[in-house]
Amino acid sequence: MKAPFRGFNAILYKEFIVVLRDPFTLFFMFFPPLIEMVAFGYALDNDVKHMAMVVMNEDRSVESRQIVDNFVNTQTFRVVGEVQNVTEMAAAIRRGKAYVGLQIPPGFTRDLHAGRTAHVQVLIDGSSSTIALSALNTSVAIALRQSVMSLLKEAGLREVPVEVRPQILYNPAMKSPNFFVPGVIGVVLQIATTFATAMSLVRERERGTLEQLLVSPMSRWGLMLGKLTPYLCIGMFMATGLFAIMHWLFAVPIAGSLAALFASTLIYVFTLLSLGLLISTKAENSMQALQMCMTLIMPSVFFSGFIFPRETMPWIFNAIGSLLPTTYFIELMRAIILRGATMTEFWFHLAVMSGMGLALFALCALRFKKKIG
Amino acid sequence: MPAETMIECEKLTKRFGHFTAVDHVSFSIGKGSIFGFLGPNGSGKSTVIRMLCGLLEPSDGHGRIAGFDVARETEKIKPLIGYMSQKFSLYDELTVHENLTFYSRLYGLRGPTLAKRREELIALTHLEPYLEQRAGLLSGGWRQRLAMACSLVHRPRVLFLDEPTAGIDPVARRELWDLLFEFSSQGITLFITTHYMDEAERCSHVGYIYMSKLVVCGDPDDLKQLPVVNPPGTKRLDVTCDHVTVGLQAIRHERGILAATVFGQSMHLLVDESLPEQFLRDKLAAVNIQHADIQPIAPSLEDVFVALTNNSNNEGAE
Repeated sequence: MKAPFRGFNAILYKEFIVVLRDPFTLFFMFFPPLIEMVAFGYALDNDVKHMAMVVMNEDRSVESRQIVDNFVNTQTFRVVGEVQNVTEMAAAIRRGKAYVGLQIPPGFTRDLHAGRTAHVQVLIDGSSSTIALSALNTSVAIALRQSVMSLLKEAGLREVPVEVRPQILYNPAMKSPNFFVPGVIGVVLQIATTFATAMSLVRERERGTLEQLLVSPMSRWGLMLGKLTPYLCIGMFMATGLFAIMHWLFAVPIAGSLAALFASTLIYVFTLLSLGLLISTKAENSMQALQMCMTLIMPSVFFSGFIFPRETMPWIFNAIGSLLPTTYFIELMRAIILRGATMTEFWFHLAVMSGMGLALFALCALRFKKKIG
Repeated sequence: MPAETMIECEKLTKRFGHFTAVDHVSFSIGKGSIFGFLGPNGSGKSTVIRMLCGLLEPSDGHGRIAGFDVARETEKIKPLIGYMSQKFSLYDELTVHENLTFYSRLYGLRGPTLAKRREELIALTHLEPYLEQRAGLLSGGWRQRLAMACSLVHRPRVLFLDEPTAGIDPVARRELWDLLFEFSSQGITLFITTHYMDEAERCSHVGYIYMSKLVVCGDPDDLKQLPVVNPPGTKRLDVTCDHVTVGLQAIRHERGILAATVFGQSMHLLVDESLPEQFLRDKLAAVNIQHADIQPIAPSLEDVFVALTNNSNNEGAE
């Protein structure tokens, strides 16, 4: 009679049927995350390539055309047009026709041959900092390379005296998806799962079925676990789909073990579902549940290190980030997927996530009153 | 009645902030009774039921089911009670069969015991043809039967039904009452809230709650004998005539007519005992109603509740 999970098998049975019979909810659980995953994955691409550039070549010599070619050859820029004066160039950038304007003044070749500093002006649209930074770095590198080459020629040397040979580990092509997609999975899973459990209990309250459950001898632990388990299965199924998209569509290699990947995901999803249940003990209707879920998603997007590195954040945001399960999950995913880390190397992250999950689950079972009003 | 007490309220009170929803309500209901709990919307009927089911904590007073305190021994009363809430809380996505299975499991039934009980309830409620239908697609009457079957899976000794016949057609209503009588004959104590007077007449006991207070409680026949219902020096008459509504307008404001209301082809009047029958006939003749059949009648339960409501309003006004 005193079973702590009394009613669990009944709730589990009912919840599985309800979830699987409701194509609308199921569709909205699965479809948006997949779309978000693909959209996020493509949109969050930091690789700046072929940005539009207008050229104002007042020198019109072989050397000046060569410098334009050097810009184009980096793959960072593409020429979208020629302009005749500074006003036209500024207008092209202002109207968004080009991000970059390259101005080669009339004396460029003359200065070059006379051994004076030959000036090239690059106007960069700073309204998008990522693009601007990339354009700036590339232009400086081109100028530097050009200068070194001519100096070498003058000095009669064939080799540069010092050369740095950087080797990028774990993501050699520095592809953005490799960095972003594991984070996208963390955020997308949070959106889908938290909402699912939050809604499922709130809906019982709205429909009046909760009263019926409360007059039965079911235990609150049984209710909570029965509510959580079906969504844990669905969440894992969804995660598998997201990992598949990551691997096949975005070609992100999985360096670590799949077992570590799924074990971490299981703990993460359990934590999120417990969070959803906690919301449902607080929310009085679906609108409130929705708002609470949305409120919790925002910090996970901004402070978890998903887009912006946590190391550069002011301490307060960094601290907020360290309270979010998503933060630990994203760090774990990057470690396992990209660096092939093992679970023992990241036991701390796993322990924190498990602790959060169990605490949230216990909290919602204890908070849940078997009374109404 | 000598039967053992099954449900007992002792100064049961519920306050929501400054509002007192249930105010010192006391009554007791014997085993096997059909207790009809009546009162206008918002008078506190559902609140009493929720407290007796252990869903709401009483602010004051006590409620007991089979001797167990509803607030302190909530877990002990759960196996004893069945509850059918106003909204017939079923899972629309589940079929009739699945709803029954779910509620049986919730009450710890399993294996052959579960199957046997489920079959019994299906037979009792005649749900056989609808087993594979989703609960959400059932009509009101059948939903009701299913909800009732679900609340009986664990053989409760008390069944609380909160407005079980609201929005149900008359035939389904009659069939439902037949079922309730069957439960009662099996020894289940029934606690039913309703707005229908004909249903109240079917109950073995009725209680009437008005403005959070229990106004009266007892056997329907006893209630009809109350002095408030039959003020000294008055009599009740049934006047059957053509154009009753015209007739009502003609006489309702005359001296000596204390209350008048239409019942189908007749009027029910509460008049001074001294009022001569001829006076009524004359007044009706004045509006071209030549034939009227006038008979003395006993008060109905509706008369009882109208009289009690007016009486409490007057008391409140003084």
